[in-house]
Amino acid sequence: MPTMEEYAKQPREQRMQRLTRTADELAAAVKGQSDAVLSRRPDAKNWAAKEIVCHLRDAEEAFGGRFEQILAMDTDPKVGGPNADRIAEERQYLRNDTTDALAAFRRRRQETLEVFGKLTPAQWDKGAIHPVRGRITIDGFLTLMAWHDDNHLDQLARALDGRA
Amino acid sequence: MPFSYYARLTRSQQAVYRKSDEVAAVRLPNPAALHAAVTALTTALATEDRAQVQRATERLIRGLTDALGVPPVQVEVLAARPHAGWGELHGLYTVERGKPPKIQLWMRTAKQRRVVAFRTYLRTLLHEVGHHLDYALLRLRDSYHTEGFYKRESSLFHQLVAERRTPWPTVDAWFQRTPDERLARLASTPGQVASVVEGRSERALARRPAPGAWAPVEVLCHLRDTEEMFGERFVAILTMDEPVLPKVGPAARWAEERQYLRHDAAVALAHFRRRRGESLEALVSMSPSDWQRGGEHPERGRLSVDMFVAMMAWHDDNHLEQLTRAVEGQP
Repeated sequence: MPTMEEYAKQPREQRMQRLTRTADELAAAVKGQSDAVLSRRPDAKNWAAKEIVCHLRDAEEAFGGRFEQILAMDTDPKVGGPNADRIAEERQYLRNDTTDALAAFRRRRQETLEVFGKLTPAQWDKGAIHPVRGRITIDGFLTLMAWHDDNHLDQLARALDGRA
Repeated sequence: MPFSYYARLTRSQQAVYRKSDEVAAVRLPNPAALHAAVTALTTALATEDRAQVQRATERLIRGLTDALGVPPVQVEVLAARPHAGWGELHGLYTVERGKPPKIQLWMRTAKQRRVVAFRTYLRTLLHEVGHHLDYALLRLRDSYHTEGFYKRESSLFHQLVAERRTPWPTVDAWFQRTPDERLARLASTPGQVASVVEGRSERALARRPAPGAWAPVEVLCHLRDTEEMFGERFVAILTMDEPVLPKVGPAARWAEERQYLRHDAAVALAHFRRRRGESLEALVSMSPSDWQRGGEHPERGRLSVDMFVAMMAWHDDNHLEQLTRAVEGQP
């Protein structure tokens, strides 16, 4: 699995390809799994498979909001990292239907790719200020998303095996 | 209750202030006759063309002054709002000896140079017309920002823009109330929501009163997620200078994507209560100047913290009413 640094060196097209494949890879991973298995947490702290899918769905919406803000502002907006565990609890991910959550992720991801497809070179260099990571350009967010997808696909495979 | 600057006015100025405060509305003889001019203004703003906005603005203001039988006023529409540390100038009314009175309106925001949202622009237009009417119609010696002044501005707005009338106070009505009254409204909501859903089964709370109308649990989840969004808006407004506030939702998409119908209502209510507590803590710790900080919404124009609190109070009213109907099986 490439690191963030390795992804950053990949051509943009290659990173976009990573994002394009993710919905299908998630579908293949959860196919045929019972709701009980999809809802099973590997331990008290780590997410079940369906929580990972819901997280990807909601993270995709959050990324979309950031891009809208970055593109609309003349200066770099300040963005915070959402508290993913709190959101998982509040939005009751464990009660969600995995297939519906995956379909919603697929739609949101398609919208992200459509936004990326229309960006000018100058817009790819627009960015936001992250409290920990510093300035991140939209191109940097693409890198982050590619790595984020890998990370959670890997976590999903482990969760289905009952491993943290 | 006069605004705080009242105490600094001379006695004769205070008399003018009180006269202004007493008049709560300006009635147009035939508001419908001006609706076409309002529509034309909406269309002109959508073109983003200054000359078209100038013509549409002149037409509407002339229509207003003619309808009220007062002398006309010169109109000038300009591009980006002037701005400085004090904020942005939205409009200006000037009267100089020997010259006709003049209204200047800015159609683009200061920094982003976006065209101002229609309702914001119309509000500003009516605000400046309000100053003209203070002199020309009410025959006041000065034009002060009194509560009566803002009510007159609102009365004109509502005659020109047909809106669904609701039995509960509108956002504007909440905006006229004190911060403490609005905060008290926000503080009471979790308890009121709890009393509406108390003792109802999970099945009953997940029942939609009609196709497309939210079930009680969906209303609860909506309140919870909206509260999270309000919290994010406040952080953005306080940590950035006039940020753009991205569109969210829409609410119906959230309800579907986040699968509200599958949520546990009691848990959703507990989380709404927690989020609301956090909002109230943030709001009471803000200074009066923080309440005037704001951001630019792509559809609603500039929104200050002050306005958000009015919107939240109205939003609570609205959804409590919807929730009460939903538990009774009424859409």
